[in-house]
Amino acid sequence: MVGPELARNALGLGLRSQHYRELFELWPELDYFEIISENFLSEALSPRFHLDRVKERYPIVLHGVGLNILGPTPPDPEYLDRLCWLADYVNAPFVSDHLCWTGVPAASHHDLLPTPYVPELIGLVAERAAFVQRQLGRPFGLENLSSYVEFERSTQSEWNFYASVVREAGCSFMLDINNIYVSSQNHGFSASEYLAAIDFSRVLQVHIAGHLRQSDGLIVDTHDQAVAEPVWQLYAQAFREHGPFPTLLEWDDHIPPLPQVLAELSKAEARRS
Amino acid sequence: MLRTPLARTSGTLTASRASYDPRLVREATATKALSSRQRLATYNRQYWFRLFGVLHGAFPLTTRLFGHWIFNEYACRFLVAHPPDGWDIELVAVGFDEFLADELEGKSITIEPGGSTLESAALIEAARIDAAFFEVFRAPPVEPYVPTAADAERLLAGRLVLSPAAALFSERWPLSDLRRELAGSEGEAPVPLPSPLSSARSWLLLRKKLQIGQIPLEAGELRLLTLLTRFPVGEALALLEGEWPEGERSSLPPLAQRWLARSVELGLWSRLDGQK
Repeated sequence: MVGPELARNALGLGLRSQHYRELFELWPELDYFEIISENFLSEALSPRFHLDRVKERYPIVLHGVGLNILGPTPPDPEYLDRLCWLADYVNAPFVSDHLCWTGVPAASHHDLLPTPYVPELIGLVAERAAFVQRQLGRPFGLENLSSYVEFERSTQSEWNFYASVVREAGCSFMLDINNIYVSSQNHGFSASEYLAAIDFSRVLQVHIAGHLRQSDGLIVDTHDQAVAEPVWQLYAQAFREHGPFPTLLEWDDHIPPLPQVLAELSKAEARRS
Repeated sequence: MLRTPLARTSGTLTASRASYDPRLVREATATKALSSRQRLATYNRQYWFRLFGVLHGAFPLTTRLFGHWIFNEYACRFLVAHPPDGWDIELVAVGFDEFLADELEGKSITIEPGGSTLESAALIEAARIDAAFFEVFRAPPVEPYVPTAADAERLLAGRLVLSPAAALFSERWPLSDLRRELAGSEGEAPVPLPSPLSSARSWLLLRKKLQIGQIPLEAGELRLLTLLTRFPVGEALALLEGEWPEGERSSLPPLAQRWLARSVELGLWSRLDGQK
């Protein structure tokens, strides 16, 4: 079953196991949670137990890292079956994954890897995304990456490639504002130009997160600290020009106590006004 | 700082390989600030950090006994030989205990920088304990086998199947105690190996709902249960009798009966398979 659509001004949090103890004590006011799909696709008992408690009280959306939609072969049918099962299990309003490849047959990198942005890939991935969305029976969103390399053979910008795929697939954007900023800094393009290419009527939600600027100048998408000020500014610009849209905070490492994470999320409200 | 075998001599993490595929190096763009190799190094570093992290999580005791420096070296060799495959990153850890057993059997390991030496038998034992906890945690929900009256006739010829939520192990060092003490703590340096036990201890790990119980077993009980995982019941009992000290064999039947009954009461088995 497909859960009700999120309110366009909804605020959500990426659910992590470190949250469980405080979450089950505090039951904070929160519009929704996002789970990493792969953490709940196996048959292990503990993740399922905790998920059952959360889904009783909060809407849950799915966010995956293993679809490998730009991989050399179509998405793994067994993985897709499990994903469909999980989406039904939590009544997810939508499911998302990344516009990337993650591995080749018999070797997974377990990372979100970019490809060259070339027209011949658009049709391929759009067809796969449309198929995934049909199988899921609910909106499917593709997330833009943060990346550390670009390719000489790219003939178009990432944002034009991304927008073309979503349009042709008839799916949605799962827009990561932090990733736009990170990639814009790493590759020297305009984050505002990126935002301008996105059809926000097709944005399911935006992600915000922290990042790390290395000593060599490269920014790495670490999700291990508070959201940086330039990302908040980009978020505010996006909301001002194109909002409202649901907003989700990702904090995956060096996770502080839950009240502190929620306080960070609440900054989004202030940035909207 | 996590140290990897990528740069032992410098003591720092060097993620930039000298031998990236030249096609990839040509394809990836460079900027004034960073070469394409340096950019590719970010992915290389993330790859190893991520997989080392999974193995540290699945083998926490083994990691702390080795210390991160040496553990990562073995982890690297394992991962090169068994690269991750499929969407479930946790499966990366499967088989690492067997790999370590093959690598370490009969060797002594010098732990840097302290220079102390660890017995490989202890490290192999630690890895098996970690693997047991890992498998029991990941096991799907399973209803325990409850024998019926009809099963009595086919019990001796049948084979009991161990529940995936159960594991058996023995230890000659108090490593399960150490594992419990280290839980939740962090550190990259190796921790000292405790002194060996005066006699080996036998354990059953059994998951009940969300808790993993560690239940002490008698040595003979462990032996019987281990045999039962491999042979039909009748054969397992016969093998145990053959191993039992001749002068004590008269005491074995009631012991074996008690141990067998207890294993069923605890919910150790998932089913009784047919005659083999």
